[in-house]
Amino acid sequence: MEVVKNAVRMENITKRFGTKVVANNAVNLELHEGEILSLLGENGSGKTTLMNMLSGIYHPDEGQIYIHDKPVVIASPKDAFDNGIGMIHQHFKLVDVFTATENIVLGLPGKLDLKKSAQKIREICEKYGFDIDPDQKIYNMSVSQKQTVEIVKVLYRGADILILDEPTAVLTPQETDKLFQIMRNMQKDGKSLIIITHKLHEVLEVSDRVAILRKGEYVGDVATKDADQQSLTDMMVGRRVSLNINRPNPVDPKPRLVIEHLTAYDELGVKRLDDVSFTANSGEVLGIAGVAGSGQRELLEAVAGLYPVKEGKILFYDPDYDGTDKLPKNLVGMDPMAIRKAGVAMSFVPEDRLGMGLVGTMGMTGNMLLRSWRKTKGLFVSRKEPEAMAKRIWEELEVVTPSTNFPVRRMSGGNVQKVLVGREIAQEPAVLMTAYAVRGLDINTSYTIYNLLTEQKLKGRAVIYVGEDLDVLLELCDRIVVLCGGQVSGVVDARTTDKREVGRLMTLHKGGAENE
Amino acid sequence: MKKILAMVLALVMALALVACGGGNKSDFKVGFITLHDENSTYDLNFINAAKAACEKLGVDYVIKTNIGEDQSCYETACDMADAGCKVVFADSFGHEPYMIEAAKKYPDVQFCHSTGTRAHTEGLANYHNAFASIYEGRYLAGVAAGMKLQQLVAEGKPAKIGYVGAFTYAEVVSGYTSFFLGVRSIVPEVTMDVTFTGSWYNEAAEKEAANKLIQGGCSLISQHADSFGAPTACETAGVPDVSYNGSTKDVAPNTYIISSRINWEPYYEYVIKAVQKGEKMDPDWTGTIATGSVELTELNTDVAAPGTQEAIDKAMAELKAGTLHVFDTSKFTVEGKALDSYKADVDSDEAYEHETEVVSDGYFHESEFRSAPYFDLTIDGITLLDTAF
Amino acid sequence: MNKKEPLLYISKRESITWQKSWMIRGIAILLALVFCGIITMLLTGLNPIEVFSTIFYGAFGTMRKSWVTAQKLAILLGISLAITPAFKMRFWNIGAEGQVLIGCLACAACMITLGGKVPSALLVLISLAASLAAGALWGFLPAIFKAHWETNETLFTLMMNYIAMQLAAYFIIVWEVPKGSGNIGIINQNSQAGWLPVLGGQQYLLTILLIAVLTGFMYVYLTYSKHGYEISVVGESHRTASYAGIKVGRVIVRTMVLSGAICGLVGFLLVSGNDHTLTTTLVDGRGFTAVMVSWLAKFNPIGMIFTSLLLVVLERGATEISSVFSLNHSFADILTGIILFFIIGSDFFTNYQVHFRKAKKEVE
Repeated sequence: MEVVKNAVRMENITKRFGTKVVANNAVNLELHEGEILSLLGENGSGKTTLMNMLSGIYHPDEGQIYIHDKPVVIASPKDAFDNGIGMIHQHFKLVDVFTATENIVLGLPGKLDLKKSAQKIREICEKYGFDIDPDQKIYNMSVSQKQTVEIVKVLYRGADILILDEPTAVLTPQETDKLFQIMRNMQKDGKSLIIITHKLHEVLEVSDRVAILRKGEYVGDVATKDADQQSLTDMMVGRRVSLNINRPNPVDPKPRLVIEHLTAYDELGVKRLDDVSFTANSGEVLGIAGVAGSGQRELLEAVAGLYPVKEGKILFYDPDYDGTDKLPKNLVGMDPMAIRKAGVAMSFVPEDRLGMGLVGTMGMTGNMLLRSWRKTKGLFVSRKEPEAMAKRIWEELEVVTPSTNFPVRRMSGGNVQKVLVGREIAQEPAVLMTAYAVRGLDINTSYTIYNLLTEQKLKGRAVIYVGEDLDVLLELCDRIVVLCGGQVSGVVDARTTDKREVGRLMTLHKGGAENE
Repeated sequence: MKKILAMVLALVMALALVACGGGNKSDFKVGFITLHDENSTYDLNFINAAKAACEKLGVDYVIKTNIGEDQSCYETACDMADAGCKVVFADSFGHEPYMIEAAKKYPDVQFCHSTGTRAHTEGLANYHNAFASIYEGRYLAGVAAGMKLQQLVAEGKPAKIGYVGAFTYAEVVSGYTSFFLGVRSIVPEVTMDVTFTGSWYNEAAEKEAANKLIQGGCSLISQHADSFGAPTACETAGVPDVSYNGSTKDVAPNTYIISSRINWEPYYEYVIKAVQKGEKMDPDWTGTIATGSVELTELNTDVAAPGTQEAIDKAMAELKAGTLHVFDTSKFTVEGKALDSYKADVDSDEAYEHETEVVSDGYFHESEFRSAPYFDLTIDGITLLDTAF
Repeated sequence: MNKKEPLLYISKRESITWQKSWMIRGIAILLALVFCGIITMLLTGLNPIEVFSTIFYGAFGTMRKSWVTAQKLAILLGISLAITPAFKMRFWNIGAEGQVLIGCLACAACMITLGGKVPSALLVLISLAASLAAGALWGFLPAIFKAHWETNETLFTLMMNYIAMQLAAYFIIVWEVPKGSGNIGIINQNSQAGWLPVLGGQQYLLTILLIAVLTGFMYVYLTYSKHGYEISVVGESHRTASYAGIKVGRVIVRTMVLSGAICGLVGFLLVSGNDHTLTTTLVDGRGFTAVMVSWLAKFNPIGMIFTSLLLVVLERGATEISSVFSLNHSFADILTGIILFFIIGSDFFTNYQVHFRKAKKEVE
């Protein structure tokens, strides 16, 4: 058997925050030289904390780190660099007004020679297949290019151990493919890589070996070739998880929300919604698909009264509408308060959870109040009912939080989303709109959310689900509206269509011209 | 809770004892309130006099500097009365209403306010005003300035001088007019520009005002404001300066000529002695050259014209003898006419009624009907560049 | 362990209990006092204990000093309470100085022009209304511009300070007594028309009581009222507020009008209750000190009682030191500066933890 050399060995690493939280408990992890290791685990399982100890951001309370089998102390990011470790964080640390080169050499000792540096950067790019211009300013770059700069930065500093923290979360499928190719190139060059992720198909696609963490503890590792989605999920969650979404048939579908010729512009005068028409029925889940920025956000915000509508109608049919004497309500021109006062029970789970849907500094109770603070009479807010609602959601959705007053921004992403979705469902809405409801969530929480939405559908509510994962859209929804460039490029039956057809519609501009 | 309160109280008392305990050398204590601190020439003049008088008489004293012309003046005065001061002095015009309030509150303590105007009408037995016939000092300083100007005119410089004032009220008007009359007794053709800063102490504004006058062609500058602004500006521009409140030779060795000042020491001694003996004091006290209250500081012979000392001595002798009056109505005109009668606003009232006839025997009787000046006329030869304040 | 084990390293705190955070501040103040003591000894050769007891004496040494301290505390606390709702809304109102001064000006204007013409009690009410309105206007203007045109409120409120200052300077010249002196003196000194009534023989008692009531009101308003809730949400995110159906512009304007009006009230108390005069320095920078008071107390009205007490005691004590020991007033400022440096610096330790490696212990 071939002798395996370890690039990194972490031995009995324990990290506590305060007295209560144990982020990592006696974790043992090995990274072999020249391999791509996936570090897999649900949100809050301690993946990032563990890696931050490698990159010098945290210091372990107990345990020992070995780099190339030598014991080391990593007390600062500089120590990490000195040991050839480079980490690419989820949030980029770049100076916007500087060029790529300037960002890369920023903070390096020695004489500044930008020309020479740019040359060296070009060489690195060529070697691994990066596609950036060293003289381009950061603010002119796409997210993927910024990420590339971060990777080049650590390579430039001579890292041979690279850690990528959820690198694909911000990338399109094509960009993801490109990144994986680059990772393989680096591997061929003898670099050792760790990729933190919770997307199983990526794990299976790119890595040689998978190490799994659960609740701060090391569960074990498995060679990728011996693993599949189900086995990895089970290890990650710690029990058998069904990966099938239950999709009952629609319940007595009737038009609930009818959008007619909706057109809207942003503040710069760019057309964001272009003659959008569709119907959302009660008792069904209507999916909305499209590449990012096709008008999904604008559409939902327009319906919620948060985005100015130029033309068109948003017609709401009351659940007890009998089709004859009462006219539907047109919601165009109403703000959220007016919509609520008009008796339209509409819930909205926005894309920007902490920037729009919730108040980060408040606890669950304070966030429940966001929906109900006006309902009580008098000058004062009543916290009784919201408190009860918060407690109910806390229990029913198994939100992990020390108390209902614990600031939600300090909760993990999955718990934040549970609070938000829980609150919106608790409003017993006639229409429930969700935008990217499972983005950034682990599998377990994602399935919880899918089940919640299906439950709503069974209660006869109109559910609108804006999603990015086509597999999920096809499994969860009854019908799918596909948006492209602010227009509806097609409405398909999710049960009969396939990924290719939806993908085609996503790039189909009206008037026939297919995009790229 | 009670226990804590008791502890706090005990602590307060213990600390209060500590703070009060130190160094009482006499059981007679005097308090002084000044508007600014030693960095202001005006306040420094008071502080020096206060220390000198108290040390000479061997009485204990406290000086509180930087006391604004607001409620804090009242609080400080009362604080001093509480602390056992028998007399409280204040040095700035704006302190007056607050001193009066304090005087009402503490009838057994004497409150003496320099430059104020209301003691003789307020009817409080324990509230007093004081000033000095500084217009005589200004006149003498003007004589020194006149000698220098004579020399400058002979060198071809214009017979025009400048004056930086703080505000447009009588104390300042009386001051610059007497200075101007002093200059004119030597250089008959002289004219004077006056500008105001709107503040008693604003170094930047005073410097700027002096520069403005210098650029306007003034050959010599004097001022009635309390910072080193004007002397510094004069030193930089090389223009001779007649100072006020004290010598500014340190900051302007090449341009400072002389300075007039009120020496408050005689007044402080007078008051302290009177209170010690339990004697009654005048509501208004006016110091003169004779009492030693009006002084000239050292003459800078490097800058002054030859013969200056002699000219000053001569004028001083005439003033002392009563043969010379600063505001001799034959020496100046107002709007082209001689002043043969003028009712001044001597008694403070809300209507500013000019009620007292002050011209008689051929001169304007300044600082005789009350200590603070009330000469508020603009005489011919003086141009006010601005009157915003 | 091997070569270079770091002596200490720093990590961000996940959370901190309020007891702990106040304890850290307490320690900071103690350290600051020790440091001040050393500085005092080195620079002046005075006994630091004596210096500290003088600080204490300056603030509480006599009944009168205690009352003045309480009055100054009330005024500073009042201004701090006024700016707090705006700050909670993340509306950086640094115009309290001007909002108070314009309230002072409005009050003085009423007392001067109406003194003797209407009964004193009525005059007090008119002055109060005028001060509230003037302060509210000074708050309204930057708010309406912010709400409709997204102007920068920091610059706007700052500039409004200078307008108020110049207006006050202008009217001081208009009303000066006697002409040319640049002084208004005590307004209605003999008639006492428009003076706030004196309660129980203590001139400042009414002011102090009013501010005490205001403190309670502000606490309840911010913590339990719908308005307070709206302010918190708007402060967090305008988008969240819109999402929740809160009219952001309206909340901004309403809150700033309240903020300005309370400043106006403080201006009224200053002129009608305390100083009975108008000078451009009447507010004396307290509009800015209040920012610190509010911030140090983390916008908690009850906490602000302590932070403003601390600052007032320091200021009073520092003045006392400078006169008792014949030190320049700047020395007092140095001491205040050191203490504030420590208090503000202690914020670092409430947000971060310092770990000492060798001892395996956490040290605050």
